[in-house]
Amino acid sequence: MTGSMIANFERAGAIAGGIVVFFVSAVALKNDWKTPGLDNQFFKIMLALLAFGALIALLAGAHVLGNFGKAA
Amino acid sequence: MAVASLPHQQTEHVEGGVDRFYEETRDLRLTGFLFFLFSDVVLFSAFIFAYLYLRNSGQSWPPPGIARLDVAFAAWNSVVLFGSGATMHYALENWKHGNFNKYAGFLIATIVLGIAFLGGQAYEYTHLYFVDKISWAGSGIFGASFFTLTGMHGFHVAVGVVYLTVLLLQSVHGVYTKEKHFGLTAGTLYWHFVDIIWVVLFSIFYLI
Repeated sequence: MTGSMIANFERAGAIAGGIVVFFVSAVALKNDWKTPGLDNQFFKIMLALLAFGALIALLAGAHVLGNFGKAA
Repeated sequence: MAVASLPHQQTEHVEGGVDRFYEETRDLRLTGFLFFLFSDVVLFSAFIFAYLYLRNSGQSWPPPGIARLDVAFAAWNSVVLFGSGATMHYALENWKHGNFNKYAGFLIATIVLGIAFLGGQAYEYTHLYFVDKISWAGSGIFGASFFTLTGMHGFHVAVGVVYLTVLLLQSVHGVYTKEKHFGLTAGTLYWHFVDIIWVVLFSIFYLI
């Protein structure tokens, strides 16, 4: 298996996994939206950030986001 | 001679199945744990802002002679960690609803995904060291900041894996009940915390 094939496999995994985790987090956030209590407020913030993280991981896997760096 | 018992050993707080002492101190415990997490946020923030300052002080990034990081693998490994955050959330939800088997399944999945993330990080470190010749001490600011921050995060994940394993064993041995499970809440908060720190680290090292 060549390096590019492995990279494609990793990118496909990142995209598929990112979609799953994004929707699972979003659904969990929706279900918990009206729960009271200090801990649940933190859980909601963290679920939102988790969904954001899954979104950027899947965009990185899809070549939309990447290590662009800073040119000399 | 009478021996004073510790508050958690006293039984006179329990009235009609409700432990008043637990109910009254739960918010205090939660606040204390949130302060602990906040202290960790401060620790990571100090290193992250130092990295960003140093990064923006240079002419180019990555510095000349340093290979770019493998975004594809990091994205895949990140999804593994973020997935563990979702499974941890459902583990706690199932505990609250009294579904012990589902709780145990989700918690074990969280532990396995945490170990998989650490395995991925070990693979990445090995690849960087032996193939790309990037090391903590020999690659300037880039190597020092990358290995320090991701290593510190990896240490937190490793501690979290041990923490969740202890929680699993405690819950199997009946330490927690449907009403009294602050340890599980704290474990979930901690695991979400390491997830969120990785969102930041993934963004600053691999995406910008």
